[in-house]
Amino acid sequence: MTAEYLIEYYTRNVYESPVTEALFEFIVTPASDSAQQLKEIKYGCSLPGQLFHHTNPFGFVATNLRTIKPFTEFEFSMIARVEKTYIAPKTYQPLSPEEELFLLASRVFIIDHYHFLEFTKYTTIIDEHANWIVYKQRRQPVFDFLQELNQYIYSRLEFDPEPTNVHTTASEVINLGKGVCQDYTHLFLAIARKNRIPCRYVSGYLNQGGNLTGAAVMHAWAEAFIPGLGWCGFDPTNNLLVDNNYIKAAYGTDYSDCSPMKGVLKTTGNHHTDYQVKVTQQATEPGSQQ
Amino acid sequence: MTQSTQHQFTSDVLTNYPLNLALLDEVFNKEGKVNTHYTKVLDQFSCYSVEDFKELNEHAKLSFFNQGVTFAVYSDKSKGVERIFPFDLFPRIIPAAEWQRLEEGIIQRNMAINWFIHDIYHEKLILKDGVVPAELIFSSKHYTKAMLGMKPVGNIYNHISGTDLIKHSDGQYYVLEDNVRTPSGVSYVLSNREAMKKTLSGLFRKYNIRSVQDYPQHLLSMMQSVAPESADNPNCVVLTPGMYNSAYYEHSFLAHNMGIPLVEGRDLFVDKNFVYMKTIYGPKRVDVIYRRIDDDFIDPLVFRPDSVLGIPGIMAAYREGNVTLINAPGTGAADDKAVYSYVPAIIKYYLNEEPILNNVHTYRCELETDYKYVMEHMEELVIKPVDESGGYGILIGSRSTKEERDEFKRIITANRRKYIAQPVMSLSVHATFIEEENVFEPRHIDLRTYALLGKDKQFVLKGGLSRVALRKGSLIVNSSQGGGSKDTWVLEE
Repeated sequence: MTAEYLIEYYTRNVYESPVTEALFEFIVTPASDSAQQLKEIKYGCSLPGQLFHHTNPFGFVATNLRTIKPFTEFEFSMIARVEKTYIAPKTYQPLSPEEELFLLASRVFIIDHYHFLEFTKYTTIIDEHANWIVYKQRRQPVFDFLQELNQYIYSRLEFDPEPTNVHTTASEVINLGKGVCQDYTHLFLAIARKNRIPCRYVSGYLNQGGNLTGAAVMHAWAEAFIPGLGWCGFDPTNNLLVDNNYIKAAYGTDYSDCSPMKGVLKTTGNHHTDYQVKVTQQATEPGSQQ
Repeated sequence: MTQSTQHQFTSDVLTNYPLNLALLDEVFNKEGKVNTHYTKVLDQFSCYSVEDFKELNEHAKLSFFNQGVTFAVYSDKSKGVERIFPFDLFPRIIPAAEWQRLEEGIIQRNMAINWFIHDIYHEKLILKDGVVPAELIFSSKHYTKAMLGMKPVGNIYNHISGTDLIKHSDGQYYVLEDNVRTPSGVSYVLSNREAMKKTLSGLFRKYNIRSVQDYPQHLLSMMQSVAPESADNPNCVVLTPGMYNSAYYEHSFLAHNMGIPLVEGRDLFVDKNFVYMKTIYGPKRVDVIYRRIDDDFIDPLVFRPDSVLGIPGIMAAYREGNVTLINAPGTGAADDKAVYSYVPAIIKYYLNEEPILNNVHTYRCELETDYKYVMEHMEELVIKPVDESGGYGILIGSRSTKEERDEFKRIITANRRKYIAQPVMSLSVHATFIEEENVFEPRHIDLRTYALLGKDKQFVLKGGLSRVALRKGSLIVNSSQGGGSKDTWVLEE
């Protein structure tokens, strides 16, 4: 069974003094993989200059724009139509705890997933916060542990968009006790990696239908590698397993690989950024339903 | 010290040459006789008086002033002071057969390192097979995810390598370091040769010496060989951080001698995944960039966001195959001094060959047994940080005070991955003109070689930079640490 979504990303930026030269990079395009397919995409930009794209080191589309015509404000938008393929509820037979542990500790496995096991600036928990780290019981299946971890982070943090910014690290989130989806995800990554479970940061869109937190902005969640199953998504902000409502744009080691918008600009003074996201589920066409 | 009185020179500058039998002298053998490939030099030198030498020496210095060959030293005391690299009149001579073997060894080594770099950014087979510890590579500050899956033109990563060699008292060459980021100093090789030709032209004609002046042509043709396929007539440039960089002279020298533009980051921009150079005729596409800017600074979108030296978007253009960067970013993970100790294994792994060049035994402080050994034998070892270059942060155990050793023990223990130790190698010595005393004395030397890897093309500069530790007894030859250099003559068969 499939579901179709219309995804809209829109940003408006205002600068105190004119920007004389700029190169922007956006990672907002929905990805195409086995669970979702990009059917249609359209970009809009208020600045002169032609958008161009490249594939980043993790295989996702990054969109660039260069302009040398001075400006003090600009708008960028993206509208995409994405088809999600319904993922059946997990009916997999977990490996035995011994098999899981053996695989997680094997050299080839660790090398293959090295980037998702590494403690980056965002995913480091300092020693004085060691009591925040939870460890998997030896005989506990990885999947069960991660579900517990999802619940644990959800219950320990309070959702509050105010106190954090894009530079908040896992340990800073612990200090604050609250944060946004990005912070929940970094903490999940940090603890999963402490357990030597490969885990990656995912940036994308969440269908608003269910009144879930993280709808009007881009959302973030985690994907962990479960031995015998593969990558599996966890959303600690909502204490949910990832399903059809989650539309992926990109993954990486942490936020720094997925930041939706960045740029190198020549300007002085402050600037203000507004952005919003809209996800609408499309009516299923007659005949396509099983 | 044993002195030899067997040489027959009339010149004052060489009669009392203090031959030290404990060291390998490049010019004299153990009986104090002149090695045959040096006889013509000594015949000529013995005709000169002290005054002649002083004059020749001044003549050579003037040649450097006129060529504008200078460098700057980074230290608190001398901010931005331009100096002339001390140059020695007595050439170092390498016989043809000896060179041939060296050249084969240098190519073998750098080809293997190239495959290694490819591997650590792709399948990582050598790590999976446990030949090189994965942690060693992953913990290197030069290992970058920006290179994951990247396949540059011709599969070449270390286009330019500077392999540092020494000749030990056993008469064998040993590799001291691999430099596969941006090895510098080649302009001195060419300037030394120029000064030598002007100063001792007579002597020059008595030998059949292989040319070094063709290096810029080989460098350019290597660059052209790795241009993106879409470039019909590749536009190659040298990218410099600017005139305040210590090697700015070299950047301008190479650009000038290749006949290609010397540019700074602000002269270039990226649009639609292509790199362009701003010219008075409008933007001109750039295909190959010999960049003398460190990885961290080349693209503020990917690496350090505060870099003003680089070009935003250049890594995307590179990954899309529209521009070639020389050397590739991320090569530094392979010239780390802890990786050095695995190079013989790396050669066997990829080439299935025995290494031609020797490695110096290396203790890795991160290993428990090696760490213990280093702590207990500090006075017999040279201790080096794995990721610095230019002779900075080194401790020579035998010349250190107890306080210095205690300080090093502390910093090694705090960061064991960062330090390696090697036995003190007895670098060969070479007769060197000592200005203050107006005599020739033996001084320690090494050899920096330059290898180029292009698409189906390998080249080693026939010669290199013989660096001299000018301070008596000193083993550190880096120009930033009071070293000088000699012209290096590789003889034709």
